[in-house]
Amino acid sequence: MRKFVLIVFAIGLCLAQHAMAQSRTISGKVTDQDNGQALPGVSVVLKGTTTGASTNADGTYSINIPTNQSGGTLVFRFIGMLAQEVSIGSGNVINVALKTDTKQLSEVVVTGYTTQNKRDITGSITTVKAAEVSQVPLASFDQALQGKAPGVLIQAQSGQPGAPAAVTIRGKGSIVGNNSPLYIVDGVQISAGDFSTLNPADFATFSVLKDASATSIYGSRGANGVIVITTKRGASGKTRINYNVQHGFSKAPANKLEVMNTEQKLDYELANGNPYDWTDEDLARLRNVNTNWEDVFFRTGKTTNHTLSASGGTDKTVYYLSGSMFEQTGTVENTGLERYTGRANIESSAGNFNFGLNSTFGYSEFTNTSENNSTISTPLNAIRWTNPYETPYDEDGNYTEIVSGQPNALQELLENRYLRQQLKGVGSIYVSYAVPFIEGLTLKTNWGGDFTANETNNYIDPTTATGRAQTGRSGSLTRAYSRGFRYTGTTSASYTRDFGTDHRLTVALFNEIVKNKGNNFGYTGYGLGGAFDNEAGITPGTTDNGFIPAVNGNGSVSALVSYFTDIQYGFKDRYFLSIGARRDGSSRFGADRRYANFGSVGLSWIVTDEAFMAALRDNIFNELKLKISYGSAGNQALDSDFAPRELFARSVYNGVSGLAQTQLANPFLQWERRTTLNAGFELATLQGRLRATAEAYNSITSDLFLNRQLSRTSGYSFLNSNVGELRNRGIEMSLDGDLIKTADFTWSANVSLTYNQNEVTKLVGEDKEIENGIYINRVGEPMNSIYLVRYAGVNPDNGDPQFLTKDGEITSVYDPNDRVIVGSIEAPFFGGFGTSLNYKGLEVSTFFSFVRGNEIYNNDRSNIENPQYLWDNLATSMLTEWRKKGDITQIPRPDAAWYNDATTRMVESGDFLRLRNVNISYALPQTLVSKLHVESIKVFAQGQNLKTWTNFAGFDPEISTGMLTGAQYPALRTVTFGLNVGF
Amino acid sequence: MNINRFFIGLGISCALVFTTACDDIIDVEPAYQKDKATLFKNLDEFEYALTGAYANFRQTGYYGNGSQTTGAFSVLPDMMGNNVVETNEELGNFISQTDWIYAADDNDISVTWQAAYYIINQANQVLNNNIEQFNSTDQKRVNRLRGQALAIRGFVHFDLLRYWGVEYNRNSTALGIPYRTSTDHEEKPTRLSVKESYDKILADLKEAETLLADVDKAVNTASNRSYIDLLTTKAMLARVSLYAKDYAAAEAYATAVIEARPLASKTAFPEIWKDGSVSEVIWSVAYSAGQGNPANSLYAAANNRNGYRPSTAVEALYDQANDIRFPAYFASISRSGTSRRVVNKYLGRGTAKDNLVNWKVLRTGEMYLIRAEARAMQGGKEVLALADLNTLRAARINNYVPAILAGQDLLAAIATERQKELFAEGHQWFDMKRTTRTVNRTDCGSASQCSLAPGSRAWAWPIPQGEIIANANIRNQQTPGY
Repeated sequence: MRKFVLIVFAIGLCLAQHAMAQSRTISGKVTDQDNGQALPGVSVVLKGTTTGASTNADGTYSINIPTNQSGGTLVFRFIGMLAQEVSIGSGNVINVALKTDTKQLSEVVVTGYTTQNKRDITGSITTVKAAEVSQVPLASFDQALQGKAPGVLIQAQSGQPGAPAAVTIRGKGSIVGNNSPLYIVDGVQISAGDFSTLNPADFATFSVLKDASATSIYGSRGANGVIVITTKRGASGKTRINYNVQHGFSKAPANKLEVMNTEQKLDYELANGNPYDWTDEDLARLRNVNTNWEDVFFRTGKTTNHTLSASGGTDKTVYYLSGSMFEQTGTVENTGLERYTGRANIESSAGNFNFGLNSTFGYSEFTNTSENNSTISTPLNAIRWTNPYETPYDEDGNYTEIVSGQPNALQELLENRYLRQQLKGVGSIYVSYAVPFIEGLTLKTNWGGDFTANETNNYIDPTTATGRAQTGRSGSLTRAYSRGFRYTGTTSASYTRDFGTDHRLTVALFNEIVKNKGNNFGYTGYGLGGAFDNEAGITPGTTDNGFIPAVNGNGSVSALVSYFTDIQYGFKDRYFLSIGARRDGSSRFGADRRYANFGSVGLSWIVTDEAFMAALRDNIFNELKLKISYGSAGNQALDSDFAPRELFARSVYNGVSGLAQTQLANPFLQWERRTTLNAGFELATLQGRLRATAEAYNSITSDLFLNRQLSRTSGYSFLNSNVGELRNRGIEMSLDGDLIKTADFTWSANVSLTYNQNEVTKLVGEDKEIENGIYINRVGEPMNSIYLVRYAGVNPDNGDPQFLTKDGEITSVYDPNDRVIVGSIEAPFFGGFGTSLNYKGLEVSTFFSFVRGNEIYNNDRSNIENPQYLWDNLATSMLTEWRKKGDITQIPRPDAAWYNDATTRMVESGDFLRLRNVNISYALPQTLVSKLHVESIKVFAQGQNLKTWTNFAGFDPEISTGMLTGAQYPALRTVTFGLNVGF
Repeated sequence: MNINRFFIGLGISCALVFTTACDDIIDVEPAYQKDKATLFKNLDEFEYALTGAYANFRQTGYYGNGSQTTGAFSVLPDMMGNNVVETNEELGNFISQTDWIYAADDNDISVTWQAAYYIINQANQVLNNNIEQFNSTDQKRVNRLRGQALAIRGFVHFDLLRYWGVEYNRNSTALGIPYRTSTDHEEKPTRLSVKESYDKILADLKEAETLLADVDKAVNTASNRSYIDLLTTKAMLARVSLYAKDYAAAEAYATAVIEARPLASKTAFPEIWKDGSVSEVIWSVAYSAGQGNPANSLYAAANNRNGYRPSTAVEALYDQANDIRFPAYFASISRSGTSRRVVNKYLGRGTAKDNLVNWKVLRTGEMYLIRAEARAMQGGKEVLALADLNTLRAARINNYVPAILAGQDLLAAIATERQKELFAEGHQWFDMKRTTRTVNRTDCGSASQCSLAPGSRAWAWPIPQGEIIANANIRNQQTPGY
């Protein structure tokens, strides 16, 4: 360090001597024309020279002008503002008010470590306005991004309060590795899929970084794209207080997978041999019962959300504080989420130092139920499986015992408790130092952490079927605690300088460290059923009571270290070049494979700033930017932190601890690499009223993690190896336009579309395919293609199921060799579109999203089209079962040799169109508001997921895994009403 | 120029300030698993690995029961025969096996195949990590560890041969199984012939027999038979010899075991099934709380779910009033007021109803039946065979009057006694395959298939599709018919 200081000091001295020529000093203040507030960080340059300065926190600057340049011009430049040129006159004070640049390319984009003007960017970045997300009544913000950004596919998967979505940017680039993007909040990596303890109302910007140029500064983790979030900052001036309240109601959506009612089911049973031997008396009694099990489980959920925030500050220090409370009860009984969050963001400057703190702290309580499995004790499965002539309670109000032997699902749902309490803290601090003796040089270090603690409290009541299946047959109490902490430390030196009028160069060097540590422990105690349903209810184990508790603990650790540089060069403010280069080391790979190099290069060109475009600029192309980039990013997101090593884990036999091999040695495992070529344009036309962007990309994942098949006689099925290659190529576009724009009335519309083609291009060695259950990865086809024997309906003559052979001939013999690819679970085409009307303070907006072209295997339906399960309820489609010669149907005779569901009979299209959001809001006129002594009042109502158009037989076609295993917790249909008051 | 010097300076500073610290940061070690590089440095660690091999027997593809795949070597062989019958309380999870409709893509078959080789791989960890280095210092301890690992390897390969072997004759050239003796996961073995499979199984078991005769300390205790000792190895050799029709060897090994470990008394016998007694138990795989159980696919006691009930035909074979096995094996338990017959043998320890019991792999009752059959088949030893049958019956049946049988009647009586004695102990499918190759289910329950003919391909399981894909050397060796 000492050496470094010496060198810097020496250079500083040299530079300082340079500046000692004869000169005069100009000073002044730069403000924002809109609100008169001071603008810090504005670059002030003497045109045609390298002489420059930037404004301080209070907007003031001073610059030394050599005497021979006294007749020159000062250029004031700030991101998001129109540049302004002022000739130096005789005075020594020049004050400037900058105007906001309303053109598209002037938008400010947060790219992570820096903010950039959109015109400079060579990569692919989409921004989503925080306002579009913050008011959606969903606890997990990722769900609210659906359809908003081209290239980003978001599938809800579950409607449980707080459930995360599956987010895929530009197609899945990894088959066995993780496909989740990297999430960065205020420079700190946060865990993917765990957002419900963060308050989306605190977020200011979302930037989705998609190509190698954009993600280059996150290169080691950027292969799946990056979602960069910044939280709200304070603004100096008067303290502003904002209160937002929302109340709402949720309902389960319509169900397309119908089950039989009592009449139908009893008649079906009688037609198939009366398995329960019902007497006429029984039948008469049962026909009086007709339970709709959906009604038993679903209710109207309620959502309440309060957020109170305050922001303000002085010239030197600004702050943003907020607190929130979010409460949502699910549409299924005994499920819900309660969340409390607080945030403090403070930034301050002192001389050449800037420092800041961004911190949030949250606490959530989740009450969940299991779903999407085919376990009989999963309560939601009762909606499909429990016979309609059963009731949850008997006449005395006691739980009934279900005749078929299934658990009473309502009892399972209400008596067992699955509670998780989450504490989450995300925070970062930074210090930056503008080196005074080297103009344009800034040193910065930013350290932050994401701390998550989960405490689980699962009470299994001894009277439930689950409770009886516990060790000792008398319920259980599981208490578990897990703690994860990840810190990110980024230290950088950045140098920005203008050379003459035409050249602007920024060079930044970074070092980054990310370390991830997690530990957990827990116990399960047995013998509940005494006086307590908490820890006091556990009966200590003895040698003969069977209540010996189970205890467990585990932990892991991983780390990343990176060195990288980011170079931005602008020429004539219309040609831009960006270069990224980096070297990353990951603890997850073998000793010789830890480090890898990644890099990117990008170019952009503002065509409309060329002289030859001048004629068109005012008519056709108001703005046109072309861009192209090429580069690579890495993926090290494997399931195991110690994937290359041969591992032995604890193994217990006869009460003695030993070791068993659990993982094979894999020393050659290395980084997965995704190389992307991206090209596109950004266009504004019709006087800026229509804005369009379109991009095409071709991204190739090489050294693809793949499960190389092993002879099972090794005891293992496969070894994860870097052997394959996968391509995602596609086009994406967005259109955003004001169809009508007058002083009082605006009608605007927007569309975002993505078409992504996924293709496996190389597998292990000479192999052309890898099978995995009902899926196959085959060269030339999309990954996770569904590979099944085609179902060909029922033979009308004998009621037998029929299949197609590989050659397309009808056969009654099921042969796995007849399997063919019938589609992929990966959605190729998706997007969203919306429109909004704005008249004076009244705004009505709607937003739709859609997915087309993927297939889903509906195992939920398979479970109730299986004649073996005659004892439980079945789908109404079973009423069309083959009964006599000549029947034309899809449902074979019930006594056909084998119910084989490994055919295309259970494959359905995943296409859907969903009315995602409708929002009506009204901002009260200022005249009225000021009488109430407040700044602003806005009332709003919105509907979420109000309507879905799909042919999928289930509650919800938003399934990212391609298979619906059992009853799902459907996405909520929610209507909320809210009020926003600013003081 | 200045700028260049500045960046060089900055680069050096990064190197100085961070390099050592940064590169150390990615040197992390697993704390909750052991890296192989740190293991097998002393005999304690080989002992740990042997414990791991035993624990692997509890996998659901082997003895453990699961909701999708169930104990292939515990309850499944009876479910595939006619001792037990599928009921409406079962959700058809096992029908591809129990109705014999499996093809090469059957998941349960693939799970069993891999589970067996997973145990073998763990046994090979004990054998292949240079345990010989301790021969000079600790010979007897090495013998104890290697002996058990070899017995595990031989016995599990034999279990594989029981399902996958196309036939059981000692010198058959029909397809047997791949025999794994290394831990090299890249190895792509071929199927040996049945004869070659037997050669290797017997070699391992006989070496184990030699080694376990000279050990540093007793492998089992008087009240715990969870490990494979010399006696267990002899019992294994008796069983293998019977399958191989080496009747002299079968008789000799069975005799050795019988002499060392007599039949249980009538009071002790019911306690065997509640783990209250280890009388006549030669080897049982230990199950503790939280480690699953070996038998709840038949009757799940915890939630009173009767998936596979005893067939009326098998119950009719017993002298229900006098046979002490009858109440130990069968009972009536009701649900929603309806009484059902259930397999009572594995309810749990003491009065517990959780199916948590040790899985009895080998016991003296089987040894009597092996010897009786071996003697009856040898010629000239029918009297001895009959004596074995009568001794066993007398131990199980109150007021038993010895029977006088000969020829086919004697053999048939031994076979019936085998069905009765070893009911639901994982023998029936293999006994049928070994003898008649016929299943008739007079009491067929919910099953869709009620009989299986000798010519069916189902008598030998297919090599799983995954193995065929991964292993080019086995591709042309699929079991006939698949």
